[in-house]
Amino acid sequence: MGFHIVKRDNCPLWQKCCLYIGAVLLAVVIGGIVLLSIGVNPIKYYTRMFTMGMIGNRIAHVTFMNYLKKLVPLVITSIALSLAFKMRFWNIGGEGQFIMGAIASGFVALKWGNVLPMWLSLIIMCVAAMLAAGLYGLIAAWFKVRFSTNETLMTLMLNYIALHFLMFLSERKEDWNFFLDETSARPKFASFSQFVKMPTIKIGAKFELNICVIIAVLVGVLVFLYLKYTKQGYEISVIGDSVGTASYAGMNVKRIILRTVFLSAALIGLAAACRVGTAGILSTSITEDVGWTGIIVAWLAKLNTGIIFLASALICVLQQGSEVAASSFSQVSSSFANMLQGLILFLVLAADFFTRFRIARAKKGEKNNG
Amino acid sequence: MDKIGVLTQFVYNIVLLNIPLLYGTVGEIMVEKSGCLNLGVEGTMAVGAIFGYIFGCYANSLGVGIFSAFLMGALCGLIFAVLTVSLQANQNITGLTLSTFGLGIYFFVGHSLKAKAWPVMNDYAGVSEGFQGIQIPLLSKIPIIGKGLFSHNILVYLGIVIALAVWWYLNRTTLGLRLRAVGENPAAADSVGINVKRMKYLHICIGCGIMGIGGYYMGLNMSGSFNSSCWINGYGWIAVALVIFANWNPALAILGTFVFGFFNALPVSASSLAMAFPKGLGWLAAIPSQLYDALPFIITAIVLIATSIRNKRGSSGLPAALGLNYFREER
Amino acid sequence: MANKQHMVQVQTENNENGQNYAIEMRGITKTFGSVVANKGVNLTVKSGEILALLGENGSGKTTLMNMLSGIYKPDEGSIFINGSEVSIDSPEDSKKYGIGMVHQHFKLVDVFSAADNIWMGRENPGFVLKNERHSAIEALASTFGFELDPRKKVYNMSVSEKQTLEIVKVLCYGAKIIILDEPTAVLTVQEIEKLFSVLRRMKEEGHAIIIITHKLNEVMDISDRVAILRKGEYITTVNTSETNEQELTEYMVGRKVDLNIDRPVVETTRPLLEVRDLCINNDEGATAIDNVSFYIRGGEILGVAGIAGCGQKELCEAIAGLRPIKSGQMIHKGDNIVGLSPKQILEKGISMSFVPEDRLGMGLAPSMSIVDNMLLKNYRDCKGPFVDRKSGRADAMQVIKDLEVVTPSADTPVRRLSGGNVQKVLLGREIKAGPNVIVTAYPVRGLDINSSYMIYDILNKQKTDGVGVLFVGEDLDVMMALCDKIMVLCHGKLMGVVHAHKTTKEELGLMMTGALDLKDKYEDKPAGIAKDTRFGEQEAKEA
Repeated sequence: MGFHIVKRDNCPLWQKCCLYIGAVLLAVVIGGIVLLSIGVNPIKYYTRMFTMGMIGNRIAHVTFMNYLKKLVPLVITSIALSLAFKMRFWNIGGEGQFIMGAIASGFVALKWGNVLPMWLSLIIMCVAAMLAAGLYGLIAAWFKVRFSTNETLMTLMLNYIALHFLMFLSERKEDWNFFLDETSARPKFASFSQFVKMPTIKIGAKFELNICVIIAVLVGVLVFLYLKYTKQGYEISVIGDSVGTASYAGMNVKRIILRTVFLSAALIGLAAACRVGTAGILSTSITEDVGWTGIIVAWLAKLNTGIIFLASALICVLQQGSEVAASSFSQVSSSFANMLQGLILFLVLAADFFTRFRIARAKKGEKNNG
Repeated sequence: MDKIGVLTQFVYNIVLLNIPLLYGTVGEIMVEKSGCLNLGVEGTMAVGAIFGYIFGCYANSLGVGIFSAFLMGALCGLIFAVLTVSLQANQNITGLTLSTFGLGIYFFVGHSLKAKAWPVMNDYAGVSEGFQGIQIPLLSKIPIIGKGLFSHNILVYLGIVIALAVWWYLNRTTLGLRLRAVGENPAAADSVGINVKRMKYLHICIGCGIMGIGGYYMGLNMSGSFNSSCWINGYGWIAVALVIFANWNPALAILGTFVFGFFNALPVSASSLAMAFPKGLGWLAAIPSQLYDALPFIITAIVLIATSIRNKRGSSGLPAALGLNYFREER
Repeated sequence: MANKQHMVQVQTENNENGQNYAIEMRGITKTFGSVVANKGVNLTVKSGEILALLGENGSGKTTLMNMLSGIYKPDEGSIFINGSEVSIDSPEDSKKYGIGMVHQHFKLVDVFSAADNIWMGRENPGFVLKNERHSAIEALASTFGFELDPRKKVYNMSVSEKQTLEIVKVLCYGAKIIILDEPTAVLTVQEIEKLFSVLRRMKEEGHAIIIITHKLNEVMDISDRVAILRKGEYITTVNTSETNEQELTEYMVGRKVDLNIDRPVVETTRPLLEVRDLCINNDEGATAIDNVSFYIRGGEILGVAGIAGCGQKELCEAIAGLRPIKSGQMIHKGDNIVGLSPKQILEKGISMSFVPEDRLGMGLAPSMSIVDNMLLKNYRDCKGPFVDRKSGRADAMQVIKDLEVVTPSADTPVRRLSGGNVQKVLLGREIKAGPNVIVTAYPVRGLDINSSYMIYDILNKQKTDGVGVLFVGEDLDVMMALCDKIMVLCHGKLMGVVHAHKTTKEELGLMMTGALDLKDKYEDKPAGIAKDTRFGEQEAKEA
C-alpha cells in the first residue's frame, strides 16, 4: 500500500461545490435506480416530486402555501441549532424543546386566547414558547457546565420526556385539562383557530403570505448578524474553535455556554409558536420531526445561515414533493423522501471527507529503492 | 378475576413485549464499546424488521428470517462504519441519518411492494411454529414465574443467551479486552498493534446485526402483516437510553430490560392488576400510562447525571473515547 | 523464557554480520501541512548499543521516532532493519519488526489493570482471558527486574508506576529495538538509576536502544553514541566517549556567529511584577515550579533559561491566571494577583504569549481570521453589542505591515499561515494591547533570522517604552545578547539570576543542567528578591 491519508489545509471552493453537488446528484441517481427497479419511471417521478406537482395545477398556490408552512419551523429550528453547534454543544434536543414551546404556546392560546386581543395573545404565545423551550434547553446545558454531563445523551432523553408529557396532555381527559376539547367524548386537542391564528398578508389575488415566513427570514438575518457581528457571536465562535484560547482571552466560558444554549432553545420555541399559531391546534406529531431534520440541515449547511435556507428548502421539497407524488404513483410511498434524504446525507458526509483529507502517495525511495 | 393468572400474565408480558429492547441494547453496547455512538438503532431495527419479515415469509422459515434480519442490520452497521471509521464523519449526524434512512427504507419497502399483497406471518407454518412458546421442562411448572419466564418463544431465550455471551466475550476473552481498549483509548490500542479499524468495523457490524434481530422480533410479535404503522415504535431510542442505564454491561442490560419492561408492561396490565388487587394496587389505574412510558427516559437521565456527578473512574462503563473518531496521525 | 532465547539469537546474528545496523534511517523527511518536522534525517543504531537522540524541544525527535513506531509515515526516505528495507505502515508492523516505543505521553488504558494493558497486545494470548494472566505478567516483569502489581488499575498508579508499566510492556512484547521518549523526565533519582541499570543489561543482551532526552548528564552517563537534531535537521552523530557536554550543547543549540542584537540601556523602574516562593503543579500532578522567586522591572528584559520542559509553560500559565498555583505570591505593582481571573489579569496590563510546539495551541483561534484573532483580548473594549471589526482590521493591517506578515489577506484563517507568520500575529496582537508586563515564551521558535531580529527589535522597543519583559527562550546566545538579566531554571528550581553581560555560556549551561547553583551567591541578597520590593505595599493594603 503506497498511499495513506493526510489532513489537507484547505480545499478550494469550486472543488467543494463540485463534491457536494456531485454527492447530491449521485444520491438522486441511486434513488432513480431504486425507482426503476420497482417499475417506476424515475424521470416522471422526479419531475413530479421536485416541482411538487405545481406545474399546470390550478391550486398551485395552495401547495406552495403548505410548503411554506412546513418550511418555516424547519428553517427556524435549523438556524437555532446552528447556534449551539457553532459552539460544539451537541444539542440534539430540538424535538423536546420544540414540544415544550408548543405546549407553552398552546397553553397561552387556550387560556387567554379568547379574552385578549389576538395580536397580544400571539406575542405572549411567542414569548411563553421561547421561555419554556429555553429553560428546557438550559437543563442539559447546566448539567454540562456543572458536572460535564454528556449533552448528546441528556438532550436525547429530554426529547422523550417532553414527548410523553405532550401525549399525557393529549390523552388525559380530566376537568383541569383545558388542552382538550370539552365537547368531544374522546380525548382530542381543542382547537383555538377561531381566536388565535398567525395573520397572513394577501399578495395578488390568491396567495396569502403567512407572517411566520417573515419571522423566519427575520430570525435568519438576525442570527446571521448576531453570529457575525456581535461580541456574543464572536465569543461563540472562539469557544467553538478552542476552549483553551477562550479562557486565555478571559472569557467566562460557562456563562457563555448557558446563554447560547438558552438562546438556541428559545428560538426553537419560537419555531414551535409559529407552527402552533399557524395550525391553530396542538397535536402529538406537532414537531413533524423538525428537531431531527433540523440537525441534519444545520450540519448539511455547515452551520452557514444562508445555506440553511437553501438546504431546508431542498429537504422540504423532498418531503412535500414525495407526498404529492405518492398520490399519483401509488407504488412509491412518501417515505421515499426519507430514504433519499438519508442517501443524500450519507453521500455528502462521504464527500466531506475529501474536503478535509487527501490521499497521499508515499514518494519514491521508499518502495522503489528496495 | 384470577389473581395468579393476572400476575402470571403480567410477568409474561414483561418478558414478551420487551425482549427487542434487550437485542437493541446489547447490540448498541457492542457498538459503543468500540468507541462509536450509533444513534441509528431505531433505523437499524426497522431495516432488520422489514427484511427479516419478507425473507422469513418467503422462505417459510424463522431461521432464514433471523439470519436475514441480522444480515441487513449488519449492512446498516457497515454504512455507519464506512462513514465514521474510514471517512471520519461525525457520529451523531451519521447515526441520526441512519435512523431517518432506515425508517425510510422500512416504509418504502413496506408501502411500495404493497401491490403484491403482504404475507401474513401466521399463514407461514415455518415462521409461526418456530415462534411458538417453548416450555422449559420443570422450570415452566413453577407457579407464576414458570409460565411468566420459562414458556417463551425461541427468540426470547436467544436474546438472553446473546446478552450473556456478549458479556462473556467483553469481559472474559482477549478479543473483548482488545475491543474495550479500542473504545477506551484507541491510540493506546493502536500502539500495541491492535488493528483499530478492523476491530471497529467488525463490532459495529455484529452489534447492528443483533439490533436487526431485535427489530424482526417486534414484527414477529405483532405476528400479522405489514401495516402502515411502524413496528419499532421508539424502542430503538429506549435501547440507547438503556445502554446508559445498564452501564454498558450486557448482563445488567437483561436486568435493565426487565426494569424498563416492567414500566412498559404496566400500562397494558394496569387495569387488570388493579381489578385483581383492588386494595393494594387499585391506585395503579389512576396513574397516567404516559408516565410509565416516560419513566425509562427519566430514570436514564437521572442515571446519566448521577454518573457524571460521581465521576469516579473505573466505576462507569462509559468508554472514554465514545463519540470521538480516531485518526492516527492527529497531532 | 521464550523472550530470552530470542535475545540470544539476535546477538549471534549481529556478531556474524556486524555490518548491519539494527536500524538505519536514510533521508527521512516529514512535513505537517506547511511545517517541516524532519528534513533529510539520517540515523543508525547498532544492536547492543544505546543511542541518545539529543535535541531541543521541537527539533523533531519525537516525530522521527514516531515514524519508527508506525504512527507517522515518512514523506520521503527509507528505513532499514537489520539491513533490509522495510515499510512501517502501522504500529502493528513496527511491533512485528521488533520495535517498541515508550511514549512520553503514556499510551495506557486508564481503566485496565497493569496486566491487561500488557495482555491486550500479546501475540497468541489464547481466546479466553484467563486469570493466570496476572501472575504470568508479574513473573515476566520480574525477569526484567521490575516489580509490578499486575492487578493495579492504571488510574490508581503514580506517574513513575505508569512509566514502569510502559517499559515492562515493551519488554514483554520482546522488542529488540527499544525507543524511550524522555523516560527520565518523571522519575526520581533512584528510579533513574534503576532504569539505567536495566537499560545497560538490555544492551548487554543485544538490544538496540534509542533514548530521547535533552539532559546532557544522562546522555554522558548512559549512551554510547549521540545523534543530534536541530530544528528538524540532522546535525551529526558522535561517540559519547569522544565528546563532552559543551560540544553537545553547541551542536544542540547551534552556534550563531555574528550575533548583533541591540541592548539599549534604559532607566529601570521599581519592580512591576514580583513572584515569590511560587510552587506550581503540572498536568500530571507533579511539581513543575518549585519555590521560585523573581521580579521584573519596567525597562528590562528578564530572560528565562532552562532545558525545555522544566516548568516554563506552567510558569507562564500561572502568571496569566490560567493555572492555579500551589503556594507562593505574585504581586503586580503592589497588588496581589493570585486568584484573579485571566480577564482581570489582562486588565492589569499583563500580557502573555506562549508559542507551543504546534504554534497554534494557545492564544489563537486557528480557524478564525487574522482580524478576528486581533480582537481576541480587546473585543470587549468598544461600546455597544457589536464587535468593532474596523479597529480590528486596522490593527491587523498595521501588524501585517509592521511585522511583514505574509498572508493572502487579513481575512485568512490563522491556521493557513506558516509558523513564523502565526507568531508574528500573536506577538503583534499582544503588543498592540499596550501591556506593562509582557510574558513571552519562545517567540522566535522556528523563525528565520530576519523574522527573529524583527521580533527582538519589537521587544527592545517595548523595553525602551518602560515595559517589563519576561522572555522565555531557547537560544543562549540570543538571550545573552538581548536580555538584561537571565534567570536559570533546572527542573523547576531556580538556579540563580545573573547579569547577561557578565555571565558566560558555559556558566549558564552548567546552571541549566543543575551543576552550578548561584542562588545564594550574594549573602545579603538571595536571587530573585528585589531590594526595593513592593511586598510591603501589598501587606499595607491588606491591613
